[in-house]
Amino acid sequence: MSDLISLQGIKRHYDVGGEIVRALDGVDVAISSNEYISIMGPSGSGKSTLMNMIGCLDTPTSGTYEFEGELVHEMDDNQLASIRNRKIGFVFQTFNLLPKATALRNVEVPLIYANINRGDRIEQAKQSLEAVGLGDRINHKPNELSGGQRQRVAIARALVNKPSIILADEPTGNLDSKSGVEIMKIFDHLYRQGNTIILVTHEEYIANHADRTIHIFDGKIKEDTGNKKVLEGIYSA
Amino acid sequence: MFGLFWENIRISFSSILANKSRSILSVLGIVIGVLSVTLMGTMISGLDATFEKSMSNFRSDILFVSRMDWFGGEWDWWELRNRPKIKEEYGERLRFESQFVQAVAPTSERGGRIIRKDRQIDTRFFGTTPEYLSTNDALEIVKGRFFSEGEHRSGARVLVIGADIEEALFEDESALEKFVKIGNHKFRVIGIVGKMGSFMGLFSLDNQAIIPHETFSRLFSRRGWMNIRLKVDGSNIEEAKEEIRGHMRVIRRLKPSEDDNFAINHSSAFESEYNSIKYAIGGTGLFITALSLIVGGIGIMNIMFVSVKERTREIGVRKALGATQKSILIQFLMEAITICFMGGLFGLTVAYGLSMMISRFFPSVMPLGLALSAILLSVIIGIVSGLIPASRAAKLDPIEALRYE
Repeated sequence: MSDLISLQGIKRHYDVGGEIVRALDGVDVAISSNEYISIMGPSGSGKSTLMNMIGCLDTPTSGTYEFEGELVHEMDDNQLASIRNRKIGFVFQTFNLLPKATALRNVEVPLIYANINRGDRIEQAKQSLEAVGLGDRINHKPNELSGGQRQRVAIARALVNKPSIILADEPTGNLDSKSGVEIMKIFDHLYRQGNTIILVTHEEYIANHADRTIHIFDGKIKEDTGNKKVLEGIYSA
Repeated sequence: MFGLFWENIRISFSSILANKSRSILSVLGIVIGVLSVTLMGTMISGLDATFEKSMSNFRSDILFVSRMDWFGGEWDWWELRNRPKIKEEYGERLRFESQFVQAVAPTSERGGRIIRKDRQIDTRFFGTTPEYLSTNDALEIVKGRFFSEGEHRSGARVLVIGADIEEALFEDESALEKFVKIGNHKFRVIGIVGKMGSFMGLFSLDNQAIIPHETFSRLFSRRGWMNIRLKVDGSNIEEAKEEIRGHMRVIRRLKPSEDDNFAINHSSAFESEYNSIKYAIGGTGLFITALSLIVGGIGIMNIMFVSVKERTREIGVRKALGATQKSILIQFLMEAITICFMGGLFGLTVAYGLSMMISRFFPSVMPLGLALSAILLSVIIGIVSGLIPASRAAKLDPIEALRYE
């Protein structure tokens, strides 16, 4: 199985008032296509920094990051914006929808930055909203939608550019348990359709949806379970 | 790229509409600025048009030999008072001596009243010779005739009146060959001058009565103002002026060490005086206007800073979804431009309405160029005042921005 993304010797150090904070201190991760992964760790462990790194929002102090053959660690701001636009779908804990725009307009945003013309944009955004079961809510604004529906709009937005990975940061953190279950069902479904999903969470039961869990502690990988399904396959053989 | 442009306009409008009262208040400075700049320009161009029209009464090939300069002149009052009067015979001397002079007409003026039965009108009497006609193209006799050389020499009691006088004294009747009274003297109306309008909106050129100069002198004595009106070869007016000045100095027997005790005036004196007034008004107006536009621009800049701060998270999200620095910069710049553009448009509309109202009392036209440059100006203010907030937005770190509460 070829690697979709591969991080090697990733270090991310911050200079906070003369003191060096080692948020990531030598991390090696390789992720293949159509994996379902959770990243776990207590706050301050470097979990968020790793997520930002994978999401191409941040670049490493040292180390290499390869994304489908592209060298992310060498990219400038414009290239990073472009790779985020083309290859990554973000789902945030607080949804981060544009409050004054309709669901459709929200889902259109990544396509705008991909320079897709208006007709195609609306078409693709509609399809994406239908895929998360919001085909009848496209003209609603976020404040007219429930929390679960808002997060589904956010997932539709993450999917609309057909990204290589979907990166979800505590996607159920702001939801009641019923909506949370609903959202996790959508992720499970997306995974079965062939998407690559990375969940960042500190909830064990959320992490259990994934096939592989990476535990981060003090900027280092404490444990990487490996792909349970693949391993199971090996053991059962 | 073009699609992104419309997208940004849509974003701008929705953001402006989302904060209606704030947008209106912050754009008020621009509205007032554009309003004052266009009104000022409209007034000045109105003034220009009026001046232009008035100046058509002065041909550029006319010189006036007068006691003093029309404008300026660094003479003290005492010196001016003691200057000798201009005499009628100077005209003949100049006609004889000068190679530039083509026609000569002495002119004297004073105010007075014309009476006809129970009607009367206050007017200006203008004494001159028949040759006056060849020095003033704008003067057109529409009915009757001008007086003759004989009438002039004999001091005949005849007069040529302006359209306003005929209207005031005779209403619908024709004034020709009728008699009117000036003081205790009876005068016969022999001609009517066509309408000429007013001079700078100050006094009507149609309210004047032209009488033979000899008659004027007998009636009003030789006191008062006299000018010698000279039609000259207009190809080199400065040279003509110099030559005539030389002859006048000889006539006045001035020693080389003595200053001129007369003046040679030309219509360009009006122009330069008018221009200096115009630039003074325009300059002051421009300064005040510029000030209000700067204040307006600061208002926009301030509101853009607030807008960027408020939408830090939105900027973070947009960046995460693939917005480049450039697209964020353009988004906020477009917002500033849009708000200024709408403010400018509104200011212009109000200014246009006001200029329509003003034009009833004072000639004023809003030039198209001015309207366009006012809009352009408000767009420029949008760019200038939006640039710093927009570039601050563009440079936000997406991680920090996403974390912003």
